[in-house]
Amino acid sequence: MAHRKTPEVTAGEQKVFSYLAEYATPQALVEACKAVRDAGYKKWDAYSPFPVHGIDPAMGIRATILPWLVLGAGLTGMVLGLLMEIGLNGFDYPWIVSGKPLWSVPAFVPVAFETTILLSALTAFGGCLVLNSLPDLYHPLFKKKRFAKATDDKFFISIESDDKLFDEQKTKSLLERTHPTALESVDDDRKVNAALPRPIIYGLLIATFLSFVPMARIAQARYTKSPDAPLNLVSNMDYQEKYKTQRRTDFFADGRTMRPPIAGTVAQDDLALDDHLSRGVQAGTNDKFVTDFPPQFQVTAAAMARGQERFNIYCAPCHGQAGYGDGMVARRAEELSEGTWVAPTSLHEPRLAKEPVGHFYNVISNGIRNMPGYASQIPEMDRWAITLYIRALQRSDAASVDDVPANQRGALR
Amino acid sequence: MSGPTLVELPKDNYSFGAAGTKLTIIGGIVGLLALGGAAAMGVAADDHLGRFLHAYLLAFYFVLTIALGCLFFVGIQYLFRSGWSVTVRRLAELGAGVLPVLAVLALPIIVSVAMGNHSLYPWTDHEVVSQSHLLEHKAPYLNLNFFLVRCVVYFAIWALLSWYFLSSSTKQDSSGDPKLTRRMEIVSGPATLLFALTLTFASIDFIMSLAPTWFSTMIGVYFFAGACTSSLSFLILFAMALQKSGRMTQVLNTEHYHDLGKLLFGFTFFWSYICFSQFMLIWYANIPEETEFYLHRFQGPWYWFSWFLLLGHWAFPMAGLLSRHVKRNRKGLAFFAVWLLVMHYVDIAWYVLPTVGGHDAHGIPFGPMEVLSWVGMVGIFLAVVGFLGSRRSLVPLKDPRVTEALSFENI
Repeated sequence: MAHRKTPEVTAGEQKVFSYLAEYATPQALVEACKAVRDAGYKKWDAYSPFPVHGIDPAMGIRATILPWLVLGAGLTGMVLGLLMEIGLNGFDYPWIVSGKPLWSVPAFVPVAFETTILLSALTAFGGCLVLNSLPDLYHPLFKKKRFAKATDDKFFISIESDDKLFDEQKTKSLLERTHPTALESVDDDRKVNAALPRPIIYGLLIATFLSFVPMARIAQARYTKSPDAPLNLVSNMDYQEKYKTQRRTDFFADGRTMRPPIAGTVAQDDLALDDHLSRGVQAGTNDKFVTDFPPQFQVTAAAMARGQERFNIYCAPCHGQAGYGDGMVARRAEELSEGTWVAPTSLHEPRLAKEPVGHFYNVISNGIRNMPGYASQIPEMDRWAITLYIRALQRSDAASVDDVPANQRGALR
Repeated sequence: MSGPTLVELPKDNYSFGAAGTKLTIIGGIVGLLALGGAAAMGVAADDHLGRFLHAYLLAFYFVLTIALGCLFFVGIQYLFRSGWSVTVRRLAELGAGVLPVLAVLALPIIVSVAMGNHSLYPWTDHEVVSQSHLLEHKAPYLNLNFFLVRCVVYFAIWALLSWYFLSSSTKQDSSGDPKLTRRMEIVSGPATLLFALTLTFASIDFIMSLAPTWFSTMIGVYFFAGACTSSLSFLILFAMALQKSGRMTQVLNTEHYHDLGKLLFGFTFFWSYICFSQFMLIWYANIPEETEFYLHRFQGPWYWFSWFLLLGHWAFPMAGLLSRHVKRNRKGLAFFAVWLLVMHYVDIAWYVLPTVGGHDAHGIPFGPMEVLSWVGMVGIFLAVVGFLGSRRSLVPLKDPRVTEALSFENI
């Protein structure tokens, strides 16, 4: 095993940083590590281009505490996340979202989950740097040309002179016994080269101070008032070449930017010439409600079923499924009794039973009192179907046992 | 690839041998007797087989998800060209090899549904469908004929894939041809895609349609998570049992168990993530068709059952498997593997059993019929694993990546 003769080191002249041994294979490195470990050294390290399996026990490295730090940080993140949400939504700014309670843990889980991960990840990252004393801006080993091979195809052990057991002769002979392919001492030039050049240090200090200025300006602007117009960094977004609705313009004679439709314009598909079908009134009138269904509407069992279904969707919430004005909404409103409620009319009032079908069609379409119009939600034919069903409901209120088919009377009690 | 560089495996016992045959005979007999007993009780119960079919479906899906998880495990090992897992891969191939037999075991469900038994899937009943707009709307998908076609497609794909991987890998034991590995790597991509689609739609058909008006877009990935935890648990326990009986003692070590444990831990948390996501979306949106599902599971004894599922499938195993020391400890890992298999059964029971008797029944329907179905299904599963295992080596003998597996280290 030929190795280079190490340069003579004269005591007191140049301090030795470490002894550096080079090995050709990871196996040789692991064996050498075991020898150094068994000799009891503490301040030394192994360098390899790739992770070497089994190097941790060979170097006598104890398990890192990083997992515990990450676990602690994760649990802290979870608790802080939950407390933050409970504090913000439960107390600071109580806000009911989607009808859930102010303290609703399921809704808080995603954020608490993310804060758990956030603190875990940051701790893993930061802890990894701190535990490895990184970043390390200068290391005496970098001065060794040979050491560049540590990122290529060579393996190194460096025993540092700070170690209590370090003794130039003994350490050297220990490393020699591990059959390195090369062995040399490393000069300790940390004092000379470790310091950054003065201009860089001053430059960094000034840059650090300057970096507070924008933050300070923003913080100041948050609490002060200014008569100046806001800064327009992107002015073509603030001032656009266009006219907005309700604004003035000199372009048109009437000074309006909005153009009214030409007189007599009717929207496509919105032409309702048939007063009977579309408005439920006699042709050419406004308040003479028709007494019969329009000829386009067929009074059939299917139309009745359709009417029942639509009635139960749109009308029953207020009027009740049987039309007595006792739907869920009405009952709840009565219960709250807030004074602004106009109760829905019972469809069985004698007054209503006498009204012509056009009246019901008109109310469904345009609304009455505080009932809104449903013309935009329910198509014409469906409105007539509901009217038909209302007629059936009214008829059922005045029904007697003779109306029930003889073979089904047994089902009545 | 220039040519096979064969590595001699260390001298060891790699054959299931007589123990496999014994497992086949005992598992088969016990399995058939138990299933027969459950069926007899089901017929005697006089409820149109409702209770029996649910118990049978529960046990069937438990075993099916394990076998599918094994298929997925084999697929991704080839997909990622993974080296560490070669020595444990054959066990997963055996687990997936049960899939053709599971196609036969699915017949009682499929045939009873085809013969007009509505007690399992209400959407097969025309009267029920005609009463509900939602079911009428779903009818183009949820109808008997299409259901039968889909079943054929699922089991055909599963049987083909599992047979392909098992037979190719076995062929390599004698030829050592690395081209077989290359071929399986190419197939594994589409195979994993097919696996994802079939598992998703099968879960919709077999589990979600038990409550046909309910829907959840997460059901597929939910059962994927369950399939992974249960199949990894099965692999861990199977490997430990074989090693304990003096087989393949030198090719599997703590490092392999550690990796299986890591996957188990990961999928345990993945299950929890999916489980909670499904719950939270439905809870927040509060749409009646969706919340109905949870409403039934938050009432009566099911309330505590739901809590048990959440804590037992998430908090306890996650906290337990978090530590490296537990994953590297045989007893610790074995305990959580058994525990997660139990919880996987609980998980499927949570889906299947509340619909027994159309939500009207009180209490949790768990009794001899459910136990016998489970014993029967697991018995037949093990019998087939034993049958397939005794006909080939328990470790891929000439896989080109077997060196990687043998020298595998985590730390």
